[in-house]
Amino acid sequence: MTGSRDLTAQIESLINRLRRRQVVGSWSVSLETALLFRQVVSVTRWSQVGTLIKLVKDVGRRLVMAQPRELAVGNIVRRVLRLIRDVYNSEVSSNSVKSVPQKGGRLYELQSYGGSNSFMEILNFLTHSFSHLKPSIISELQEMINELENMYVNIADQAMEHIHSNEIIMTVGKSRTVEMFLKAAAKKRKFSVVVAETSPTYLGHEMALSLSQAGIDTTVISDSAIFAVMSRVNKVIMGTHAVLANGGLISVSGAQMVATAAKHHSTPVVVCTGLYKLSPLYPYDEDSFNDMVAPDSVMRFDEGDLIDKVTLINPYYDYVSPELVSLFITNTGGHPPSYLYRLIDENYDPEDTDI
Amino acid sequence: MAPKSTGKNIEAETVLQAVVLADSFNERFNPITLDMPRCLLPLCNTPLIEYTLEFLAVAGVQEVYLFCREHSEKVKNYVKTSKWNRSYSPFKIITIVTPEARSVGDALRELDSKQLINSDFILISGDVVSNIHLKQVLDAHRARKNTDKNAIMTMVVKEASPFHRSRALGESSIFVLDGKSQECVHYESVELYPRKRRMVMDMQVFEKHSDVQIRNDLIDCQIDICSVEVPALFTENFDYQDIRKDFVYGILTSDLLGKTIYCHMVKDAYAARVRSLQTYDAISKDILSRWTYPIVPDSNLQEGDSYEYMRGQIYKEQDVSLSRSCVLGEKVLIGAGTEIAENVKITNSVIGRRVSIGPNVTIDGAYIWDGVTINANCSISRSILTNNVVLEENVIVNKGCLLTYDVIIGPNITLPPYTKLTSHKQTSENDDGDISEEDESGNQKAASFDISNLSLTDNESSASVISDGSSEEESDFDGPTTLEVFSKEVTQTLERAFSEGHTVEIASLELNTLRMASNTTFHDTRTVVIPTIFGQINTDKLLPSTKDVLSRWGLLIGKLVHSKADQIDALFILQECCAKSEIHNKTFAPSLRILYEIDVIEEDAILEWYYDERSKGGVVKHEAYSKLRDAIGFPNECDQEPISQRVGFYLTSLETIIKTEEGNQRQVSLLKNYRQTIGVAGAFNVSVIQAFNASHKVSVGAQIENISNGSISVRRKRTISQYNEHVTSSMPKKRNKKDYDIRDTDGSMSDDGLPPVS
Repeated sequence: MTGSRDLTAQIESLINRLRRRQVVGSWSVSLETALLFRQVVSVTRWSQVGTLIKLVKDVGRRLVMAQPRELAVGNIVRRVLRLIRDVYNSEVSSNSVKSVPQKGGRLYELQSYGGSNSFMEILNFLTHSFSHLKPSIISELQEMINELENMYVNIADQAMEHIHSNEIIMTVGKSRTVEMFLKAAAKKRKFSVVVAETSPTYLGHEMALSLSQAGIDTTVISDSAIFAVMSRVNKVIMGTHAVLANGGLISVSGAQMVATAAKHHSTPVVVCTGLYKLSPLYPYDEDSFNDMVAPDSVMRFDEGDLIDKVTLINPYYDYVSPELVSLFITNTGGHPPSYLYRLIDENYDPEDTDI
Repeated sequence: MAPKSTGKNIEAETVLQAVVLADSFNERFNPITLDMPRCLLPLCNTPLIEYTLEFLAVAGVQEVYLFCREHSEKVKNYVKTSKWNRSYSPFKIITIVTPEARSVGDALRELDSKQLINSDFILISGDVVSNIHLKQVLDAHRARKNTDKNAIMTMVVKEASPFHRSRALGESSIFVLDGKSQECVHYESVELYPRKRRMVMDMQVFEKHSDVQIRNDLIDCQIDICSVEVPALFTENFDYQDIRKDFVYGILTSDLLGKTIYCHMVKDAYAARVRSLQTYDAISKDILSRWTYPIVPDSNLQEGDSYEYMRGQIYKEQDVSLSRSCVLGEKVLIGAGTEIAENVKITNSVIGRRVSIGPNVTIDGAYIWDGVTINANCSISRSILTNNVVLEENVIVNKGCLLTYDVIIGPNITLPPYTKLTSHKQTSENDDGDISEEDESGNQKAASFDISNLSLTDNESSASVISDGSSEEESDFDGPTTLEVFSKEVTQTLERAFSEGHTVEIASLELNTLRMASNTTFHDTRTVVIPTIFGQINTDKLLPSTKDVLSRWGLLIGKLVHSKADQIDALFILQECCAKSEIHNKTFAPSLRILYEIDVIEEDAILEWYYDERSKGGVVKHEAYSKLRDAIGFPNECDQEPISQRVGFYLTSLETIIKTEEGNQRQVSLLKNYRQTIGVAGAFNVSVIQAFNASHKVSVGAQIENISNGSISVRRKRTISQYNEHVTSSMPKKRNKKDYDIRDTDGSMSDDGLPPVS
């Protein structure tokens, strides 16, 4: 029982830290979530897979509600669910070959999935004890956690294929993925990086500092100079906060401008992202996954008279539409935006899109 | 909590404690706070205390002591059922009820006596909204303590501008800081009233610090990092009440303590306190415009909240039903279960849960709490409607109104601006259920009128309620002279003496102390004391009460009167005081009498006063003055005949003259006699008659003036018996003097109104 009390405390603590923005950044959020779910699966007692799925969904829902802007939380929850289902399915198929049709590709059995499961299968699903699956689920989860931990290295390993000597690369904002990517390339190649300063957060300054410390030829430009400089840039490489189901990005504000300028100059836009940032959700309007932060950085609070009279909106993110993106570099390789549907299908179960 | 061997270990192991003052120790939010403690009032549909506790949770506090006074049960219950009391709560929360605490100082003394604090702690009031990263402040405080052993406190202040909307008007303060170290070298509180025009600083400040900043642009967020000594200092200085006005000021001006206080300037984070309705409005707006990020409605502070942000700073909870034609403008927050009908326009407002808004309603800048019903065609602007208010059809609520719990208004009523309504009966002796507001400043006029079982109080001057603000800032108050301060204090001292039944000696001692402290004269003291004593006279039972009060407190006047000149001065003050109102007119003579009896005022003084031209009064108050002057009659040598009798006879005789049917014809002869009398003994003044009867005043007075050529000299007395004879003999009809009730004719003076002379 103390285990489960501990668990509740852990869940609540993560919920609160998510809400208070004490855990930020897709990667740390995902890692924390994954670790929490490993705990959930191992600590709680369950015998039916249905119970476990329900439990994971309940906890997942609360985490997502705590910070709906961090799409990575939902992604990890979906990954966990998918993983549980996969373990269960392989178990069932190895036991009774006849009751479950062989899985070819999930996509093609969309219809059969909901409707034509045999009665026995449902019964099995609901009543038969599968607590012996726990170790394999946990090991799968551990694999996922390892994957998360090695994410940056996996992506950075592909750098040599994309960055060539004497190229001029433009980037925007500060992204750990991009940083590692460029640094990995800098070990062997010589190229220069132009960093847009990305007001009002000025994350670009930090990025530039970090890159120049690694010995990369770095230039900081103001955001207004992006369009002018773009003509000389060979490639735009940027990170993102989340990738949506249509291939659109939720990225640091300013990214939209960079991507549009790149489109105008036919400069390829390469987005470095871990798969955990890929979300099966669609953006129904441009504000939907955005976060409006305090307007402090745009206008100071002490300009008292003025702030009464104007409305200041300071969006933290930009929505970058999929047409502007040329390539996604993920930990599983490079994919064009049009291929994302496939990745989504491989990683998430359609039943879990709504948590 | 046994101290460990090395200092560093203690630093590392102590739990971070916070003291939350959940009571405001004032009545700014009356009448809302009659039902609900301030810290539970909803700000953007979340109880105020949540913001503070959330802030402390983010800061990593592990123990919270919550001090509450009023409605302590409600606070306790709230805390008990809230998420802060669960096992996974980030801190332990302990509620301490201090019903007898009247100020922050009392609460801290209580804290000291309980010995709960064992390291630096955070002192915060229960109405702070902030997103400051307190960790940095704590670190800075600790670093400072290492360099300056005397540092006992760090005050967190937020940079703003002097007239910033989030600065509490009338409760702001001036910080004088050392530019480099941010040490607070002087503190001055600025109140709206009386307005300060200058402040005094020690010259040493400039000697010690090369770079001194005097800042009037800081929001004092009342977040203090205090060291353990702070509660102890409060115990040592038992008269400290306010943490700023008394404590900070006291520490900084004290030569003995040598403690230092620092400020921590917050530049890019938000912090403010809901201290008044004006700041309630401003902070609500700040939250809606996301200055407080991440403490915004869509981060859903409370469990079960489901706010979502929509374009245009609209926050909507799930399960809100909006009609097709309603228009939501900017900065609107709508709680769950609310229904909004057709053609409703809402801008800059907070709408609570389960609110029903009828068709064609316009709402602008209003704060509508839970369960409110607004029927068709209402219009609300910049007001607060608390829980379960019902507006019937066609009600117009103008700016600055405050409608408290369960008030029902309408239909077809227009509420004037700054109306405060409550369904509460007033707790004091007032029996008709009127509610009159007592703001602390007390400088407000209150006029009440009844509307359908409710009472409204028009509250113009305390326009702190969501008004433009600018007008208040510009309104000019006279600077407080030392005299004003002194008179206020004297009044308070006396009131205390009255209510607590001090002896005259003690009261006089206190007055003398005050007088010497503020370096004022006896005259000033008298000008305050005499009217205050007269203020104690119960107007319903005028004369007995006059006697009671004066025989008890008259001696106090005596203590302030030393020479004849003093006595005369006292008389003038007394006269002036009595001339102010009809009621007091009547008390003049009896009081003078009593003062005479208890040897406060001597005969000579009375005579001198009487003959003094000033006693007739100036042009404006001539009538009232002379009335008073004459009411006393002639205070001649008090020999065998008691004054009362003489005055009575005298008045009776005059009455006779006037009342007589043949009076006019007889008057001539009578007045001739009179003149002779006056010529010989002339102890009377013309205006006796003037004061006597309004209808006859002019004619008689004129005649006498004719006779005496406008100036009647007053020379010598005449015995009453002679005079009496003269009057009776000249009376055309024999009338018994006892038939006259003089009060019927004028009421200014009455024979039997005087206490009997022993």
